[in-house]
Amino acid sequence: MRGALVSLVLVLATAAMGQQSVSIIHDRIERAQPGDSLSIAAGVYQGNLEIRKPVSLEAQGLVVIDGMGKGTIIDVLAERVTVRGFRIRGSGDSVTGEDAGIRVLAGGAIIEGNTIEDVLFGIDLRESPGSVVRGNTVSGKDLEAGRRGDGIRLWWSHDTMVQGNVVRNSRDMVFWYSENLRIEQNRVTGSRYGLHFMYSHDTVLRENELEGNSVGIYLMYSNSIRLEGNRMRNNRGPSGYGIGLKDCDDIAIVGNALLANRVGVYIDNSPSAMDSTGLFEGNMIAFNEVGVLATPNTHDNVFTANAFVENEEPVATHGRGELHLNQWARDGVGNYWSQYAGFDLDGDGIGDVDYEPQSLFGQMLASEPNLRLFMHSPAQQAIEFTARALPELRPRPVLADPAPLARPPAIEVAMSGARGSGKWMALASLGLLVPSALIVALLGRDRAFAPASTGGGL
Amino acid sequence: MSAQAISVALPRPSIPPTLLGGTWSFARREFRDAMSSRWFVLYTVAFTVLAVGVSFLSLSGSGSHGFAGFGRTAAGLLNLIMLVVPLMALTAGAGAIAGERERGTLMYLLAQPVSRSQILIGKYVGLAVALTCSLCAGFGVSAGVLAWRAGGVGVRSFVVLVGLTILLALAMLSVGVLISVLSRRSSVAVGISLFVWLALVFLSDLGLMAGSLIFKLRVQEIFALAALNPLQSFKMGVIVSMNASLDVLGPVGAYASHVLGDAMPWVLAGSILVWVTLPLTAAMVIFARRKSI
Amino acid sequence: MIVAEHVTKRFGRAVAVRDAGLNVRAGEALALWGSNGAGKTTLIRCLLGVTRFQGRATIGGKSVKRHGRAARALVGYVPQELAFHDDVRMGSAMAFFAALRRVDPARAREVLAEVGLTGHERKRVRDLSGGMKQRLALAIALLSDPPVIVLDEPTSNLDAAGRGEVVQTLQRLKEAGKTLVFASHRPDEVISLADTVIVLERGVVQRVTTPLELWPTEKPVQVVRLYLSKASEAEAAQTLRDAGHAVHLNGHGLCVAVPRDRKAEPISVLARRHIEVRNIEVMDDVRVEEVAP
Repeated sequence: MRGALVSLVLVLATAAMGQQSVSIIHDRIERAQPGDSLSIAAGVYQGNLEIRKPVSLEAQGLVVIDGMGKGTIIDVLAERVTVRGFRIRGSGDSVTGEDAGIRVLAGGAIIEGNTIEDVLFGIDLRESPGSVVRGNTVSGKDLEAGRRGDGIRLWWSHDTMVQGNVVRNSRDMVFWYSENLRIEQNRVTGSRYGLHFMYSHDTVLRENELEGNSVGIYLMYSNSIRLEGNRMRNNRGPSGYGIGLKDCDDIAIVGNALLANRVGVYIDNSPSAMDSTGLFEGNMIAFNEVGVLATPNTHDNVFTANAFVENEEPVATHGRGELHLNQWARDGVGNYWSQYAGFDLDGDGIGDVDYEPQSLFGQMLASEPNLRLFMHSPAQQAIEFTARALPELRPRPVLADPAPLARPPAIEVAMSGARGSGKWMALASLGLLVPSALIVALLGRDRAFAPASTGGGL
Repeated sequence: MSAQAISVALPRPSIPPTLLGGTWSFARREFRDAMSSRWFVLYTVAFTVLAVGVSFLSLSGSGSHGFAGFGRTAAGLLNLIMLVVPLMALTAGAGAIAGERERGTLMYLLAQPVSRSQILIGKYVGLAVALTCSLCAGFGVSAGVLAWRAGGVGVRSFVVLVGLTILLALAMLSVGVLISVLSRRSSVAVGISLFVWLALVFLSDLGLMAGSLIFKLRVQEIFALAALNPLQSFKMGVIVSMNASLDVLGPVGAYASHVLGDAMPWVLAGSILVWVTLPLTAAMVIFARRKSI
Repeated sequence: MIVAEHVTKRFGRAVAVRDAGLNVRAGEALALWGSNGAGKTTLIRCLLGVTRFQGRATIGGKSVKRHGRAARALVGYVPQELAFHDDVRMGSAMAFFAALRRVDPARAREVLAEVGLTGHERKRVRDLSGGMKQRLALAIALLSDPPVIVLDEPTSNLDAAGRGEVVQTLQRLKEAGKTLVFASHRPDEVISLADTVIVLERGVVQRVTTPLELWPTEKPVQVVRLYLSKASEAEAAQTLRDAGHAVHLNGHGLCVAVPRDRKAEPISVLARRHIEVRNIEVMDDVRVEEVAP
């Protein structure tokens, strides 16, 4: 609704402003000196813009660059170019041409505060080290998932900062062969992979928010990456993970929130190299179907001070196996498990018995994934109950936490739109109670048949 | 014939009640009987207490975070609903006709100017309204708890859950009424309905699990067989409404989501709807064709 | 008013009614006379169309099979014993049937007053005496002031006083022009109410006659009921018929109509044949002249 209104205003504004060609901008760049800052007056500029000089383009008011559905809208071919504050729309949709909103082919670019919409790729940096991509909003073309382009893509662009961008309905925000990046406070929704790393090492990802994607953060063949304070919620789908790790070494995942994903963390052969480790510390892993799902050969990960809250399965293996080659406590600090049935008599905050989850249904699922269909049903409860009653049916535990925490560690999780107003739920409550009470009062009442002689009601 | 009444003024000459009016009389009577039945009140109270309890418990671990919203509550409610609601509806339906037959009241009702299908439909409608009110009471109170503790997350899913639960109750009521029509005594009807409950809640799932392991059933076969069970259809429908897909139910769910796409909720609701209409139709035909009372 | 042709009702292989026919004119009172199991109740159920049967039956020209509701709208039915939910209050029961019959609540009060139940509306059905229940049933039957009243042994569960009340009410109804069909095994009732008697035995209509023919005598008669051992009943009946008495076997002993001054004669007739009479009951006075058509 709001989108429609904005479009309407835009159309009206456009009509009022009249339309002009990008050649006006071309001409001004032609006349400018390298390093000049050009303010572009409000209006709609149609066509494809090429920037071949190191200048800074600043939009004054509402400046629309409309690619008219053809090719890439802005090509940055010179170093140290700034594009700030534009509304950029209507790229082509050629997958082979990789049509983009902004394509940067030189280093030192600053792409800031632009709104990019109806594009195949959003912002595409190729061999553009030392760039800044900040505060842009990208929404992709309304295409089926397989034909979408990436919202933001870095390719061989080291030392780049990607901060505070919002990406909707794209494929990935993806980083190829790029090292030493700062990825902060971005928000990706409705896309395939929120943040996707391919062969990109030595980077910190901080406070990003990934919601409603297939995978929140997917790291592949990327080493020495630190994830801190990121929030992954509601990333679902057939391979829905909050975080996916494939062949990654020396990953540190600290203080993140993984909420209501199909799988909180998926670990596939990570770490893979000898003498490397993975660290999971102080994460809130809650309300996922599976908290941590790992391939059975997974080893040398350390889990400490995480809170596993109300996951349907806290930890499971992908295929039959156990996860005893990982450390489930460090220095006498294990994890909090909401399913833990033990006790803490000495009151030191550490449960007195090991946490060893045994789920017969879970074990059946590991070897027969099809049975997951029967999850959330009384039959599942019946199977678990049977296993509790008959020790010989009890499976071997998947893991052993020697120092389970008695209370959940304090993990600060802030997330936009998490709570929502209780108004509608309260309304639903009233909407159910009032009519049914009325019906009971109306129909349940005895018919108006009062004997004349006694005069009283019945 | 002399139209002299036995007392004073003669009312209108005898007119049979209208189709709707007669049916509604029975519906109303059935509703009131249900409302004053000890069992029914007990079920309602139990369902409400359990639903509120589940809502509280599922939020207690997360209350400070507030992220669980409705999702976790729904998972807890699902199990509760799948256990209690079919039991409630099946036994309520089972008593409908068999009870009257056993007390000898059925003959007396049949001698009134009403048709057999009017009696049956009237009773069904009355019980359906009673069940719906009872469920709405339970859901209404737990919605209040959710609004207070968790905010408004998942209102849509909640509404779908309520709708599907009512649909499930109607389906189980149909089965119960069919059992009732077929039984001579209400104790027999209740016994059979308990067995049907056991079969739908546990045996069919466990059987299907065993079957899929032994016969190496393919995903489409497992899905089709599971969707035949109204309880599984109900569960899948609720999960689809919350997650927009059945992927959380593993390969079978992913297959179903892939093949059915947006039609999925309708297919699942349709499967339950078949359980509403088929047993009820069968009950009507059998009751109408019955040779004895 | 009521016509039945070739009515046959089977329960499995047993035949309850075989090829029965009858024709009741408007305002006529018809008695179904026969022992327990003779098929009286089954025939009544067929006439009301509440059970499936072969043959044809109409009430007021309306087929009970095809237009059962319309046909039954012409009938008020009084069962042998009122079967109703025991917990229901009498007023509620009346209200239910008043709504079903689409009559004004004022009419319900009127009818209750007519049968003398005013003031008992708050009593539960379970707390009513047999006589009150039967009067309630009568009140319900009269609600819509139907032209036909069908009664299935309405007095069998009542004591002498209760019987008298019911018979009196029925007599008034007959005077008011109602068509009556009732099953009975009490000669006094039949003689005081019926214009026509249909004698049923093992589901077959033996004869269509009048009370006068069934118990013929010019003088004031009394009916004496003799209780004998089952084995000797048939022989005794034959013996008495040979001696010129009107005899009927109806499962509750032998009914013999005798002139009021020769009540002991049947006993002495039987004594001569060495048939032992265990007990004897003298029925209420009947004046044959008054009931003769």
